[in-house]
Amino acid sequence: MIRTIKPKNARSKRALDKRQPKIVENVKTALFVPGTTSNKALHDITVDLAALKKPDIKRFTKKNELLPFEDASKLEFFSEKNDASLLVFMSSNKKRPNNLTFVRTFNYKVYDMVELLVLNNYKLLEDFKKATFQIGLKPMFVFNGSIFDTHPLFKQIKSLFLDFFRGEVTKLQDVSGLQHVIAVSAIEEDDNDESISKLPLVHFRVYKLKTYKSAEPKLPRVELEETGPRLDFKIGRHQYPDSEMEKEALKVPKQLQPTQKKNVDVDSMGDKIAKVHVGVQDLSKLQTRKMKGLKSKYDQLSDSEDEVSGDEDGSSEGEEQDEIIDSSAEEEGDTEFMDAEEELPERKKRKV
Amino acid sequence: MCKYCRRSSLTSSKPVTVEKPIPVNYDLGNLAVFDPNPLDASKITNDKTKNDYLRDVTRDNVQLLINQVLSLPLKKTSDNSNGQNSTMTLIQLPDPTTQLPREKSIPKAKEPTKWELFAAKKGIKKKGKDGKLVYDERTGKWVNKWGYKGKNKEVESDWLVELDDKNVGTENELIDPRTLSRMERKKLVKKNELQMKRNREKK
Repeated sequence: MIRTIKPKNARSKRALDKRQPKIVENVKTALFVPGTTSNKALHDITVDLAALKKPDIKRFTKKNELLPFEDASKLEFFSEKNDASLLVFMSSNKKRPNNLTFVRTFNYKVYDMVELLVLNNYKLLEDFKKATFQIGLKPMFVFNGSIFDTHPLFKQIKSLFLDFFRGEVTKLQDVSGLQHVIAVSAIEEDDNDESISKLPLVHFRVYKLKTYKSAEPKLPRVELEETGPRLDFKIGRHQYPDSEMEKEALKVPKQLQPTQKKNVDVDSMGDKIAKVHVGVQDLSKLQTRKMKGLKSKYDQLSDSEDEVSGDEDGSSEGEEQDEIIDSSAEEEGDTEFMDAEEELPERKKRKV
Repeated sequence: MCKYCRRSSLTSSKPVTVEKPIPVNYDLGNLAVFDPNPLDASKITNDKTKNDYLRDVTRDNVQLLINQVLSLPLKKTSDNSNGQNSTMTLIQLPDPTTQLPREKSIPKAKEPTKWELFAAKKGIKKKGKDGKLVYDERTGKWVNKWGYKGKNKEVESDWLVELDDKNVGTENELIDPRTLSRMERKKLVKKNELQMKRNREKK
């Protein structure tokens, strides 16, 4: 572990703050580490891979004695020291010739690892001798083959290459910046063989885009020209991410989560459907049918006079009548309620 | 109809449409296309046809991707930084859909300080900053509240200072009121530093 340093001045404090976890993260830095058995070929290949990843790279020149699958603590140290979360370790021996170990880290701890052995038919950038891509442009990705959606290891490789080369996440993209394509292809897995050695090869190609006029007014016809590096990988050992760490790493901060709009849905046809809630209606202000006779100036004010005149005679009778009316109303209400209860299930049935 | 039309139709004969048995998936935020159609294993294992075949398959997919990307909404921005007005047309990309692991865990919210906890309990709202300058009615100028030629140091440079009533009759009576004021000011600074230190250590 690296000891925690207390910043002594503003400059070092800023530098340390840049390493702190952020809500919107910076582009991951790639670190290329040669092992003791690294060779010229691997050096050249990683130079080309670094050219694709520039400017977010760091390269070690000295060889380092370490075995990623036995003890990754040194790699974790490099990751922390250099603030790099993508590591490429180069080694070559008889059992695993021209071996590139791609390591991703999360919180400076190994997240996942995969060994990709470069086959001897590789071609470098300089072998193509053509105009290459410009530095720092966002590449396009093509993943050919359904195995990238089905096989867990190939899913990991897909995620790795996307993570490695995608560069900055932007909302706006310049059309002229669409210049090169990274294509990763693999054929289907042989169902008869379950062993790792029989996994299909991963073909890594980089092309430059050429556009021509087409029949469509706004869309160009696209042609591709290979620029290299051209690498065919055989898959070696691998390590899947720890499920707990994966869960932690795939979390999206609350601030970046899309806020769901209430009561608005998009149905399967792509139509937007929204529910609108209206407050309780005030029925007393409802405008009913307009008639001349109902105008307020025709309101009869003589009602009160009538009541006053017949008050003494019909007071008791009035009360009795009221009671009778009340009881009848209750009975009716009850029966209605019962009816409604009985009817309800029937209606439901009809709807179903 | 006319000869020009016929010529144009001849030159732009190359199509932009690509047909795939299984439709491809896009992640336009990452400018990526995922083609679930199986590749022809016999062509790939054959070294002669391999590279051309891979290029052709990729070309079709890139064509599909470009068709999608170019039909996204555009945004025009004007750049006036180099003195000239230049407008740029940029494509508005959606958010990436492929989940990729983060580099570091999500930053934790800062722990509240002792004061913030107290303020929350008491319902004290933060005051907005009301500026560093204050109007000095005697001179008719705006002066700093603190700092260089600050208003809080006014007493220390006055040629005549009234004695504070609370100091009368105590041991402070004989000390210069200017140094008293200065001492009090320094004491407040010390106190605040201590509080800040305590809050920092609490983390």
